[in-house]
Amino acid sequence: MSQKRIAITGLGTINGAAKTIPAFQKAITQGKSGIAPLDLFDVSQYGTQIGSQIKEYHPTDYFSPRQVSHLSRTDQLALIAANEAVTMSAISGCYDPYQIGVCIGGGVGGMLHAEEWLRGELSNKPARPGLLRTLLPDSSTTALAHSFGFAGYQGSITTACSSSGTAIGWAADLIRSGRQQAMLCGGADALAMLTFAGFNALKVVDPNPCAPFSAGRQGLSLGEGAAFMVLEDEQAARSRGAQILGYLLGYALVGEAHHMTAPEPGGESAARVMNAALSAAGVEHGQVGWINAHGTGTPLNDVVESNAVKLVFGEHADQVPLISTKAITGHCLGAAGAIEAVASVLALNAGIIPQTLHFRGVDPECDLDYGHSGSRTTATRIVLSNSFAFGGNVTSLVLGSAALQQEVC
Amino acid sequence: MDCFAPAIAITGSAAISAAGNSIKPALEALTSGTSCLKPIPEDLAAGTTGHCWGKADQFKATDFIPPLKARKLDRASQFAVATVGMALADAGIVKGAFPSDRIGIALGSGFGGIANASEFLSGYYQTGVSGLSPMLFPNTVANAAASNASIEYSLQGPNITFIQRFCSAESAILAACRFIEEGRADIMLAGGVDELTPQMIRGFAVTGQLHRFASGFGEGCGILVLERAEHARKRGAAIAAQLTAINTVGFLLPGAEQQGINHLLQAQGACDQLIFSGPELAVQPLLGTVAATSIRYPGRIIGSSLAMGGIALGLLTASLQPGEQGLQLAASPEGPYYAISVIGGGPA
Repeated sequence: MSQKRIAITGLGTINGAAKTIPAFQKAITQGKSGIAPLDLFDVSQYGTQIGSQIKEYHPTDYFSPRQVSHLSRTDQLALIAANEAVTMSAISGCYDPYQIGVCIGGGVGGMLHAEEWLRGELSNKPARPGLLRTLLPDSSTTALAHSFGFAGYQGSITTACSSSGTAIGWAADLIRSGRQQAMLCGGADALAMLTFAGFNALKVVDPNPCAPFSAGRQGLSLGEGAAFMVLEDEQAARSRGAQILGYLLGYALVGEAHHMTAPEPGGESAARVMNAALSAAGVEHGQVGWINAHGTGTPLNDVVESNAVKLVFGEHADQVPLISTKAITGHCLGAAGAIEAVASVLALNAGIIPQTLHFRGVDPECDLDYGHSGSRTTATRIVLSNSFAFGGNVTSLVLGSAALQQEVC
Repeated sequence: MDCFAPAIAITGSAAISAAGNSIKPALEALTSGTSCLKPIPEDLAAGTTGHCWGKADQFKATDFIPPLKARKLDRASQFAVATVGMALADAGIVKGAFPSDRIGIALGSGFGGIANASEFLSGYYQTGVSGLSPMLFPNTVANAAASNASIEYSLQGPNITFIQRFCSAESAILAACRFIEEGRADIMLAGGVDELTPQMIRGFAVTGQLHRFASGFGEGCGILVLERAEHARKRGAAIAAQLTAINTVGFLLPGAEQQGINHLLQAQGACDQLIFSGPELAVQPLLGTVAATSIRYPGRIIGSSLAMGGIALGLLTASLQPGEQGLQLAASPEGPYYAISVIGGGPA
């Protein structure tokens, strides 16, 4: 693999716990959860009525009325988070526009609006057809590319809950391979009835705020949001005087080829992808300070992920905290991997290992260190961030702190 | 970007389309200029007339998949499972003959999962939570097709799905080549899959797309078997063509369109065979940019779709003689644009 190191020079997010990077840093550091009663759509028929919805969100605070009518909620969240990242990076104008690409991991895209159209069709009260135009997640990618004038690569990855983790890894590789000089990458996904009803139908939603790796956990809490990074070749970023916020050191992805919804119980594939990501990054196992887990809080996921970590780290597994920030943000599906990657970089640079919130008791099958007792300080510079998805798509990212810039690459 | 290193070979291909259940009938129709499109029933097209679609009417899932298994799959997944199976057979790859973690899949998906999503939600909107079918929900995700194919054939290498306008399959083919180039996989199944339902036609009609980019929409699946040329030679596989370059730009910047086209074509001014994919209106900026002995547009024959690039590349590969240069140009109205260069036969 190439030795080119990929620097992170911009970060942005909006999610149920925070609407900006500084606010998200605070939420991660202080353990503030965004999970609360939902009111984006009617959930009164469900036993579970909570989630991590972006509250007090007024689109016209960010967009003109005309823009609001043309952008799905997902598109809007993508633009808000991406704008924060692009502004932070000060990248505009620094490269040939054909050398800056956009890669997004998506989920339901504009489904929230398409649902309104479908309801109208079913009740013979036709709704505004324009609601369909932003249905697919590539709508967000196009919106970002045209909004920022980035005319390079455009790609939208749709591997369910691993979409945006993969988008970040793939974006880094587009730079590493020399196809692009810089990439805006991340993910966006808004809450929608499809996913709320779907996960409820599968009976994997916890009626209380999700409690990853705890005894008595009943499932996930859904969330929504967007998170973006600006990636550049480190040398190019340094040459233009950019502030380096961290590194995307490597990634790996596989398909488990096991089952559409159930992970491989032994965690072998998840272990394989974590090992491959570390190998791609040139990172030794002992350098990993903690893991930002997929950590949904479903009974099965958390045991499988724990098993996988044991396979990767062996007798040292209990010395590598397995942390879930989903108790803070909810499970943001297509945006989850990117939100967690951003959370990981913020925590690394703050020198903390975040707390896994909502502890309900010890689960004997989850016998590692999950950081339930509180956040703690750390000198670690490297985090592994996992994303698992429907269909058996597994992705792991290896992220480094800004402090790594003191080390010769 | 120039040639891939190491060289990447196409050793198998398969397609399901309105022309039939393999590459051959689609190539015959393309060569003879015989359209396989049929009129869309007026009641589906919101009262508008004169529109055609390319339904894969000859496809019967149970010809390829056991009935009980086929019932659990959405139509896009059925297409993908069937086409991947045919492509693997075409490449002479038998399940279990190679380490499964060295074989992956990269698919472009158009509206994969949307039909299931619509059915799932309709149940809820019509009868409340009692109308929710948990069986439908897992296949509402766009990666269902690639994942179901990976499960069927134990493809445990890289697994990725793209939706990127009319260049969804080309996006997947680029990723597949890169995964091979990097050494993440020895063999990648790559291409695109799309399904077309009456409700989609209704959506295209009410949004005005039936008159524009969705005119003559089709469905189906096109899969290529890609592998390192050296890997193919070692196992004695026939190399149909070699992928020599893939270039892309997101959109053509106003005032700098030619610069974008230069990025895309990398000074390639001529080829033997040129094939277009994407809606005809979108490929207009690329017309005349490359001289070619033969220029063909499969969209007119089997229908256009977001992920038809896999079928297009299969057709191009099948029509190239050894040493002939082929070029696939793909475009979407809002971008992106892709140029895929291939040369017939194996590397020298």
